[in-house]
Amino acid sequence: MNKRLRNALKGLTAPDPERRRRAMEPFVRATFEAFFRYLYRYLGNEVECEDVLEDVYADIWENADRLRNIANEKQLLRTVYLYYMRKRLREVYRRMNRNLCLSQKSLTDLVAPELGILEMMSQLELQQALRRMLSRLKARERRAIELWMEGTSNRAIANELKTTVGAVKMLEFRTMLKLKKMLSDYYVEH
Amino acid sequence: MSGTSREIQELLVDYAGALRDGCIPTFLKSLSREEAKLIATSQEFWDATESVRILNSAGFADRAGTANVSLFISRVDAEIASRMIKSKTPQRTKHGAKGRFIRESQLK
Repeated sequence: MNKRLRNALKGLTAPDPERRRRAMEPFVRATFEAFFRYLYRYLGNEVECEDVLEDVYADIWENADRLRNIANEKQLLRTVYLYYMRKRLREVYRRMNRNLCLSQKSLTDLVAPELGILEMMSQLELQQALRRMLSRLKARERRAIELWMEGTSNRAIANELKTTVGAVKMLEFRTMLKLKKMLSDYYVEH
Repeated sequence: MSGTSREIQELLVDYAGALRDGCIPTFLKSLSREEAKLIATSQEFWDATESVRILNSAGFADRAGTANVSLFISRVDAEIASRMIKSKTPQRTKHGAKGRFIRESQLK
């Protein structure tokens, strides 16, 4: 962990609220990018990510006890997700839940899930693993996922692969499952 | 939306699309009772959502981002200042509310 972040963490756990407030700026500067990227995988929306993060940082200022014995950045991210982000992520759609058919448990699992094996990997590790796994897929599966990641619609992917939209959806679903298995195996191996 | 329920692969692809496009609420609202039940009972769906999140993170999180971290810091600071004021302000008690009610009724 770099010195700046370590000092900021020390300031955050101080009993004086004003000192904690002053420590917030270096802490936000050191962690914003990592926290933002992490939240983005659950929300997929910049504006919502910023709104949630604002509350997360204020919650950390209010009570940073959980961050007292943090040894590295990976542990920091994991702790912040489990004790601060999840609570706020659940609140994003809680009010909406009255009008939804989805049960509260399914909604929680969808928007603020427990940490899975893959979610323990850092952004860099994930990108490396994903690149490797994509190269192991069949050409048709890889093309479908690459096009999807470029933001292409399912109809356009179907046109590109000369098939139907239904077949593309099935192909994407099967490939996502395959990727999950491959990435989990990769994580266990390494 | 059509009257027929979507199958699990269609639901997964629609969830993935909603996450990619940043419109999860639209996906959640589109779910019928049968589809919600199907999602709750399908382990394959939950396994695949993990991959979807990873792809979303690896593919799009780098491109997304805020223009100005300093501006964001000032937002956080304002939120903290507001919480500090709230913690210093004494909470209104039930007794106080009751007293006001009596005074209002006495005026009538």
